[in-house]
Amino acid sequence: MEKKRFRLGCDIGGTFTDFVLLDDLTGEIHTAKCLTTPKDPSDAVEEGIKILSKKLPGFVSELDEFIHGTTLVINSIIERKGAKTGLITTKGFRDVLEIGREIRYAPYDIFAEYPKPLVPRRLRMEVDERIRSDGTILKPLNVDEARQVVRKLVSMGVESIAVCLINSFENPIHEKMIEEIIHEEAPWLSTSISYKVLPQIKEYERTSTVVTNAYVKPLTERYLSKLKDRLSALGFKGKLFIMLSSGGITSVEIAKEFPVRIIESGPTAAVIAAQYYGKHFNISEMFCFDMGGTTAKSCLIQKGEAGIVQTFEVGRVQRFMRGSGLTIQVPVVDLMEIGAGGGSIAKISKMGTLQVGPESAGADPGPICYDRGGEDPCVTDADLLLGYLDENYFLGGEMKLNKDKAKHGIKKKIAEPLNVSLEQAIWGIHDLINETMAAAAKTHIAEKGGNPKIVTIAAFGGAGPVHAYGLAKKLGAKRIMVPPNAGVGSAMGFFTAPRAFDVLVSHKVSLSKADFNSIEEIFKKLEKDAEATFLSEYSQGGIIFSRSLDMRFVGQGSEISIPIPNKPFFEFKKEEIRKMFDEHYEKLYGRTYPESEIEFINFKVRAHLPEKLLKLSKIENQRGGDISLAIKGKRLAFSQRVKDFIPFTVYDRYKLFPGAKFRGPAIIEERESTIVAGEDTEITVDEYGFVWIEIREG
Amino acid sequence: MGKVFDPITIEILWRRLISIVDEADSSVARTAFSSLLRDAHDYTCMFTDRFGRELAQGTFATPGQAGAMALGIKKLINSLPEDYFKPGDVLITNDPWILAGHLNDVCVLSPIYYKGNLVAYTACVFHHSDIGGRVSSDNHEVFEEGLFIPPVKLYEEGVLNQAILEIIRWNVRTPEQVIGDIRSQIAANHVCSEKIKQMLEEASLDTLDDLADQIIDITEKRIREEIEKIPDGTYYSEGIIEQPKGRDDIVIKAKVEIKGSDIIVDLDGSSPQVDWGGNVVYNFTYAYVFMAIKSMFAPDIPNNEGCARPIKLYAPYGSIVNCKFPAACAARMQIGHFLTEIIYKAMAPVLPDRVIAGSGGTPAAMNVFYGRRKDGTPWHSVIIRGGGMGASLKSDGKYVFIFPANGANTPVEIFENDTPLIVERRELITDSGGPGRTRGGLGKREVFIVPDDDYAPVPPVNLGIQAGRYVYPPEGLFGGKPGRKGAFLVNGEEGNPYGLTQLMPGDVVTIDAPGGGGYGDPKERDPNLVLEDVIEGYVSLESARRDYGVSINPETMEIDWEETEKLRKGKS
Repeated sequence: MEKKRFRLGCDIGGTFTDFVLLDDLTGEIHTAKCLTTPKDPSDAVEEGIKILSKKLPGFVSELDEFIHGTTLVINSIIERKGAKTGLITTKGFRDVLEIGREIRYAPYDIFAEYPKPLVPRRLRMEVDERIRSDGTILKPLNVDEARQVVRKLVSMGVESIAVCLINSFENPIHEKMIEEIIHEEAPWLSTSISYKVLPQIKEYERTSTVVTNAYVKPLTERYLSKLKDRLSALGFKGKLFIMLSSGGITSVEIAKEFPVRIIESGPTAAVIAAQYYGKHFNISEMFCFDMGGTTAKSCLIQKGEAGIVQTFEVGRVQRFMRGSGLTIQVPVVDLMEIGAGGGSIAKISKMGTLQVGPESAGADPGPICYDRGGEDPCVTDADLLLGYLDENYFLGGEMKLNKDKAKHGIKKKIAEPLNVSLEQAIWGIHDLINETMAAAAKTHIAEKGGNPKIVTIAAFGGAGPVHAYGLAKKLGAKRIMVPPNAGVGSAMGFFTAPRAFDVLVSHKVSLSKADFNSIEEIFKKLEKDAEATFLSEYSQGGIIFSRSLDMRFVGQGSEISIPIPNKPFFEFKKEEIRKMFDEHYEKLYGRTYPESEIEFINFKVRAHLPEKLLKLSKIENQRGGDISLAIKGKRLAFSQRVKDFIPFTVYDRYKLFPGAKFRGPAIIEERESTIVAGEDTEITVDEYGFVWIEIREG
Repeated sequence: MGKVFDPITIEILWRRLISIVDEADSSVARTAFSSLLRDAHDYTCMFTDRFGRELAQGTFATPGQAGAMALGIKKLINSLPEDYFKPGDVLITNDPWILAGHLNDVCVLSPIYYKGNLVAYTACVFHHSDIGGRVSSDNHEVFEEGLFIPPVKLYEEGVLNQAILEIIRWNVRTPEQVIGDIRSQIAANHVCSEKIKQMLEEASLDTLDDLADQIIDITEKRIREEIEKIPDGTYYSEGIIEQPKGRDDIVIKAKVEIKGSDIIVDLDGSSPQVDWGGNVVYNFTYAYVFMAIKSMFAPDIPNNEGCARPIKLYAPYGSIVNCKFPAACAARMQIGHFLTEIIYKAMAPVLPDRVIAGSGGTPAAMNVFYGRRKDGTPWHSVIIRGGGMGASLKSDGKYVFIFPANGANTPVEIFENDTPLIVERRELITDSGGPGRTRGGLGKREVFIVPDDDYAPVPPVNLGIQAGRYVYPPEGLFGGKPGRKGAFLVNGEEGNPYGLTQLMPGDVVTIDAPGGGGYGDPKERDPNLVLEDVIEGYVSLESARRDYGVSINPETMEIDWEETEKLRKGKS
């Protein structure tokens, strides 16, 4: 079979939809960017493909893979625009979702806010049934009552039902019966059942995860089905993959079934790309900074690896505060997302001070300067008036910005009410959003044991390169890296994402009582299962399996993960396993206790393909080293150092060459983004076309 | 003159210190054995400089433990002879008068050495679910309440003192769990020590002294600025707290004086100490007075020695709020938690927007269940729980929370895994929030069943409770009505929440947590909000009419505006 030559990455953000097309034969990259279409995001996908088709007619039929990330899921949670969802749970427990875990995340703040549950109390129904903690049935399910409850929810107009019963992870029989009843009574309803979504102990965390899945499932299903149809109509015959929050990729079918696993699908792409660059350039501490129209995503990448966490929160009601969001228990890349983007709205706060974000004007209507009916001043309006953006070269000139309207808007809504000059107002907006991002970045970096002063900032997104310099100054960071096509660069992550599948089985047994032959059987079966799923997804061979164990002291509440060499498990001696455990435990917690018994909890297998390396294509030294040919001219832009407008030299990024070296103040323009560098910078371009900005001391 | 840090460096190192403690804090969830620690988070990690001055505490700290530790660790360190510590030492104690006021709170403290010099101390207090003794509020002396561990070295220069561990092992019911949790404390201190050393190295510092001085000074300055904004004056309040049946109520009198940027709290006139476990040591009283002041003036400033400097507390020795050894004190939170709302009550006239009405999570409630399974193996589990918080000027009371203390519930599925009991329900109670212009938070009902089938445990199942508000409900503020009272029922009949209850197979226990008090006249509440509460089942139709003066048609679930106007005018 002839190999198709193209792969297309597509990232739907809050404001823009980004496209990166990779030609696997030549390593060549083509990009496109268009406004996100919130009413039907697949409109923008089709639009982008049409833009690319103009450059490369017929490429769609030669697409091998279409890899997709979307903020659709998370936005519908944050904006509370998901489906009307009902919950069916065990009698006596309908308030589990609302009671939560009862901890106050800010112990000294008596006014702290907490998120409202996604399912209001009147849509939370109980059924008489009970499973014991060992999985045996204490009280059989009242089937008639269950049917009544389903009918009632249907009559109340729910679109989606979540089912989560107490102790169901030990025995899902009642959940399965209710699932059956829903299919009989209302086959059109979307269902999310806890034994499928998250078969794990702790009823609140499980209910919250299942309810969230149910809340976003109908819209994810509709969207992905439609997307698939539209792609087919355009002649697409390749494979469609969706980015997972954990950094891997998965099939459309799995994404539709478990949308809760793709919540962070969009933001993750930038991290995966940055991880790749971190390894390529051997940067030990890199700060991935992806600022788009609606939010800024950041992640500290240490030695080329971003962390993965097992639990995260969405829709935090108090910005940056751990504990103020809805709990979701699925693996996710440990990134931080805040409401700071080009579309962040500036306004006067109740205290009479300037406030920027977290609300965003999004794509529609967008900032005032887009001239699409937006009336609220945004960060992009300020960036334009500060001279950082060119009204005639936004998206390569495809979109003309209206400077006068932006000026008028900021004057009326910010400068006059605050009684400050226009200059103070626009600089204030730019500087304040940088401060907000810097505060969040410092917390994130500190939590991971990093030091902001030694990080290299990798700037992505339409607004990332515009704000990276200001952010670096606030963090004390000395170096910024801007990859080629930075404005859409996060979509590069789609090509470097690992093709991996994780499977696990829980089986609690103490080391002394464990039978290593039967454990080998467990591993063999896991590998077989993973391989089957894998082959249906990728139809390629060469699968690699990695095994690991979750173990703990008998009676402890959580486990440590121990990777083990790939050999038949019965070849291990019990003392060897014990030694591995003690070594890991001691490394983490200082002391271990060899006399205390240990136990196995989970057996895990990760099936993956060898990493498919992306060749960064080098750029040719075609201009003979004359930097003056790359200069477009000079433009007055705001200097944060002298707090006034000074002339910045404007460069055309597409005319820069390897080894090019110049000093700030500089503005470097490319189609999807603009790099801003102050007076105290040295700028170089490397052989891959990456722009490196060094900030001098002082 | 020491090294002066620029504001950015201070901010970064300060955040780093807090994140180090938070990291130690989160290691506990991974290493601890008892559910009270790993699920309910009843522990506090902190560290101090080499003089014992608190520098940082975990973000999810329990205010009682944290406030008491800040005082206790400093006193302890300063009472020990110079050169008492050597590298590798680990100190352990649960002396209630040194630390957090009852024997279950065990402190493990380790000195941190860097380049051969003592630079700081790391300490954590864990609430051990079992410390032996008779588990009940009605003991007369501390000796009945469990094992008393004076400050002794558990490790000397890295070598374990096995004798101490053995004494602990043979004085508790669930030794594996208790010993495992002590190890988790040692692990938490280890995480903290390693990260502090790493930070000193990266920041090229030899000591923490200069950094500590500056962090503490900045903090003190910031909190004093806030206090100074309030006009000078003296404010009074009184709290009445119920006691076990047959005893007189306890009275706590508070005089709060604002003088420039100082706050002086005087509890003179409060009741004398009692012959049951409700006695509060000075440290614990201080902790909840501190909680009130911190929350009113500077909830967002990280806690350290600087926050405490403007506060002075007088509590008469031998009173309920500063008890003498060997008073029983296991149930000290039943009284101590009230101090926060008593201070709020005093300050309400001058700071109406910074206080909340009485809370159902005051005091925090604790249920200690233990017994033997069918096959004879012992089990032991503690559930802590809160209630509805009081309403405030701008918002309804939050629920369900432990307040002013903090902590999480134990998931039902974890509890049933750890014990042979069945939890029949855990739900909100309709109409339990005190009516007001803003409504009090709802209380919560939990029902436990002792199985009488094949799973029946060896009788009896013991249940020790520490709670309150069975007689006096959480009060409202500014015309708001009180929340619903608490209840403790065994097989539908009122039980004795102060003694030790012995349950038999088939018994059903109902425990109701109180709701929070309302704020402002309920007749001024927006009728649309009342309707919403009725639709969700938080408030009943009857209460909407009776308490809020809102008439709702039960058929259409719409407000009868005419009738509502009449109801509201009729009584104002």
